[in-house]
Amino acid sequence: MAYQWDFTPVFANADLLAQGLVNTLKVTGVSLACGLVLGLGFALMRLSRQRLVSWPAGFVIEVFRTTPPLVQLFWFFFALPLIVGIEMTPLLAAVVTFSIQSAAFFAEVFRAGIVSVERGQWDGARAIGMTHGQALRRIVLPQAVKRMIPAFMERAIELMKTTTLVATIAYADLLFAANEIAQKTFRPLETFTVVALIYFVVITAFSLAARQLERRLAVSGESTVH
Amino acid sequence: MHQWDFASVLANTDALAVGALGTLRIFAICLVAGLSLGLLVGLGRYSQRRAFYWPATAFVEFFRNTPVLVQIIWFYFALPILMPFSISPLAAASLGISLNSAAFSAEIYRGGIQSIDRGQWDGARALGMTFLQAMRRIILPQALKRMTPALTNRAIEIFKMSTLASAIAYVELLQQAKLIASLNFNPIEAYTAVAVIFFVFLWPLVQLTYVLERRLARDE
Repeated sequence: MAYQWDFTPVFANADLLAQGLVNTLKVTGVSLACGLVLGLGFALMRLSRQRLVSWPAGFVIEVFRTTPPLVQLFWFFFALPLIVGIEMTPLLAAVVTFSIQSAAFFAEVFRAGIVSVERGQWDGARAIGMTHGQALRRIVLPQAVKRMIPAFMERAIELMKTTTLVATIAYADLLFAANEIAQKTFRPLETFTVVALIYFVVITAFSLAARQLERRLAVSGESTVH
Repeated sequence: MHQWDFASVLANTDALAVGALGTLRIFAICLVAGLSLGLLVGLGRYSQRRAFYWPATAFVEFFRNTPVLVQIIWFYFALPILMPFSISPLAAASLGISLNSAAFSAEIYRGGIQSIDRGQWDGARALGMTFLQAMRRIILPQALKRMTPALTNRAIEIFKMSTLASAIAYVELLQQAKLIASLNFNPIEAYTAVAVIFFVFLWPLVQLTYVLERRLARDE
């Protein structure tokens, strides 16, 4: 088959692709930031001894870890606005879905990290008069977070890949831009190949950076929890 | 306040059943294809021969570092241009999800095989087994036990990924929910029902992986 490859129509739309990539990074960044904060909250709730606090957190974590992200996204985009009676934009739906979803995964990372800190650290902190909150903030979390970094990085990369789902609710991310260009130029082969390569380069760069960081942490003598 | 009304969803159970069948079909295809191809690629990653190692590594890196949805869309919209035949949504989605799962499970296999003590190899070779015999009879059976929790996790991921096939209109649960929602104007109930179906099906599997992990930790 002698197909004539022609990338010029794709490169002519480079600005669309660039805008798409920016939007992809935007969704990833915002969801990551919200997901981390929310995830820590979920983890602390789940570790609580009061069932009224720990069970709801456990339920949310389990639901968001065991249902497909695309179903969650559709639910937040098509169903939630009707229940709450608010206007939902694709960006808002995506950020809400991916924040809660990654929070559910981050919560388990946080929990594993906090649990992995030796009991003696807690006892020591309490012995010198710290409250539970102080011990957590000053003694336990700083040690736990360092061990959790590799798992966080892995999850962040997963999150960036998951954000492609927003294209299905018409948010102009990189994949959506590709769809548009493919239809406009009748060059789906070149367009989707280029976009796959863009994702590959960006995500590989992030994983390499993550690996580098992991190695540096290993050198400074902290084991990594997986 | 919204009046929940699941009657409109229950009236379409047959449509959901068709969707569930579609989900199970693509899940079964990708599970078998993904995990067996993954073993081959994993052996390639473990191999000391460059002719095996480099292609396997390139495959793993590429499919792990691109989003599955992009792969599915590439196979559906881009690949047919290079091929003399058309590609069905099922084929395109299965290709994307299987290759992606192969790349991820390859790393599980490699890690599992590497975790087996060197002495096991030496012992098998001392008994006169060839490399393949040692692998099949001694190493893999032990490694598989250690890999079971991770592979079960992969299976759960594959099940969740199957919803992506709806993006190219393959008939599965989410696609049927879209259809029901657009015909009956009941997106709340339709999508909630599908979310519940997935949760009910996958939750026991997730619990199983916890049990497997705990048992493995105890055994070793």
